[in-house]
Amino acid sequence: MGNGIPGLAQAYHGLFAVVLVFLALMLMLCLIRAIIGPRIADRIVAVNMMGTMVMVIIAILALMLQEGYLADICLIYAMISFLAVIVLTKVYMGVYLERKEKEEKKNGGH
Amino acid sequence: MAVIEWIQFLAGAFLLLFGLVIFVIEMIGVFRFKYVLNRMHAAAMGDTLGIGFSLAGLIVMNGWNFTSLKLFFVIVFLWFASPTSSHLIARLEVTTDEEPEKHYQKLAMQDVKAYGAGQEANCAEKLCEEKKAADSVEKLCEEKKAANSVKKLCEEKETADSVKKLCEGKKKNVAAGKEA
Repeated sequence: MGNGIPGLAQAYHGLFAVVLVFLALMLMLCLIRAIIGPRIADRIVAVNMMGTMVMVIIAILALMLQEGYLADICLIYAMISFLAVIVLTKVYMGVYLERKEKEEKKNGGH
Repeated sequence: MAVIEWIQFLAGAFLLLFGLVIFVIEMIGVFRFKYVLNRMHAAAMGDTLGIGFSLAGLIVMNGWNFTSLKLFFVIVFLWFASPTSSHLIARLEVTTDEEPEKHYQKLAMQDVKAYGAGQEANCAEKLCEEKKAADSVEKLCEEKKAANSVKKLCEEKETADSVKKLCEGKKKNVAAGKEA
């Protein structure tokens, strides 16, 4: 970025470095939220937020390293994190309903 | 050309930092709200607005090429994916919550309407009361002003009287001097 113009390349590099460090700090905060979140939905929301921030980090790296294929990875990351949310919610809801049904059957039997 | 590239850099940096500010707001919301269904509002904001501004800034920095197009596709994909995943998480929460009456209230449609009507009536009452209070304050002010003006008039009269007296006393003195 900013080749041939004095100062511009350094400006790009500094901006990207600062933003990356900042995003890493927020990622840590997201992780704290995922650990302390009292309910399962809290954790899924926090993981979703982490996925969003990682997408921004990958997009910044694509520009910083001048590697266009990292943008593809960003797109695929978005799709996989969306899929992860769908699968997690569906699986957890299925397990919960199954367990509840079993308990009801047990209570009905006695 | 250098000036244009600097402007490009500054505009992109502004958008990117604005996206970061949105992420910070999201973080504050996620830590300060008390329940998942409230927290999700803050989290969904970062998913669409935060990443939208950040990637828009990167697109402005990058200029017109295929990388920018891919980043734009990421934004468009998240516009569709984020509300869907929020909806799924909310449904999971509502389904698996063992004690919902602790966290939220389930309302039927007529309840909502009744609640709205009650709120309106309350608002009208409050407005009336405020109006009355304002009116009484105004009245008090006017009374105070009237009292003040009466006082002023009295004082003026008194000063005028004293001046008159002084004048009369002086006149008498002068007359006495003439007689003498």
